[in-house]
Amino acid sequence: MEDLGFILATYLITFGSVATMAAFIVRRGRRLAAQLPAEDKPWI
Amino acid sequence: MPTPKSPTPETSTPASAAPAGGASTGTAFTRAIGLATIIGMGALAVFGLFISPADVRQSDSVRILYIHVGTVWVAYVAFAVTALSSAAYLWKRTTSLTWDRFAGASAEIGVLFMALTLLAGSLWGRLSWGKFWVWDARVTSTAFMFITYIGYLAVRGLGGSHQQRARRSAVVALLAVLEIPLVHFSVKLWRGLHQDSSVADRTHVTLHGLMLFSLFVALVAFSLLYVWLLMHRQRVLAMQDALDDKGLDYALQQRRSEGDA
Repeated sequence: MEDLGFILATYLITFGSVATMAAFIVRRGRRLAAQLPAEDKPWI
Repeated sequence: MPTPKSPTPETSTPASAAPAGGASTGTAFTRAIGLATIIGMGALAVFGLFISPADVRQSDSVRILYIHVGTVWVAYVAFAVTALSSAAYLWKRTTSLTWDRFAGASAEIGVLFMALTLLAGSLWGRLSWGKFWVWDARVTSTAFMFITYIGYLAVRGLGGSHQQRARRSAVVALLAVLEIPLVHFSVKLWRGLHQDSSVADRTHVTLHGLMLFSLFVALVAFSLLYVWLLMHRQRVLAMQDALDDKGLDYALQQRRSEGDA
């Protein structure tokens, strides 16, 4: 495969970035959810 | 700013007694979307890196375009959702801070995906044009839109009540969305290096076979990811607002219950 470095960098940065954002959101959500009663979490 | 409701012991649960299993933003639906997203992303990696053939003209650099087109698709959708949610907030019949939170969550996701679009485009440009950056109409207008939405997020971060935040950011969102058609049609309005539509022109599909399918996999995978991120992020913002409104009440209530015990 030609230009493997550029191609792999694109995929790794993209997947890594979205995974980091997802992990941040889940972690923040768990932290906030632990501080609030069920009435503030209508999706439960 | 809404009058904070003081929870009474009969109707609410102290923060420390949040029900087990409810301490997250996930539901059965979002877990299903999450699973489908992981499968979709795996399929994108397999098709994009291994199964899709190299292009006759672009060679293997065409594999970058599956990421580039997929991420810009999500960015466009995210910014359009931001505008629609903002309009729903401003419309008197549907005024609700839930719309504002959808707008904010969608804009955050859009900014991330627009950054990834610019990055992937830059790497592809280095291979195809010999430069990481050119002052082409499409590239420049995309960068301008990216900066505009960073400004939108900055406006959301200004002080004031939740309603003030929602109103001013909704106005900015409705102005910022006008950039999408400008960016999209910039390749037709001004001649530049950036290529026109890769998938189809007005009369027929120009991308065929496994390349077209790989691009389809990318669009589906990134769309599922967007839905998952949007739902979770909107719930995080809802909890953040609730904590801003009632956090002090909960802390006092908890302290009193500790004192009684």
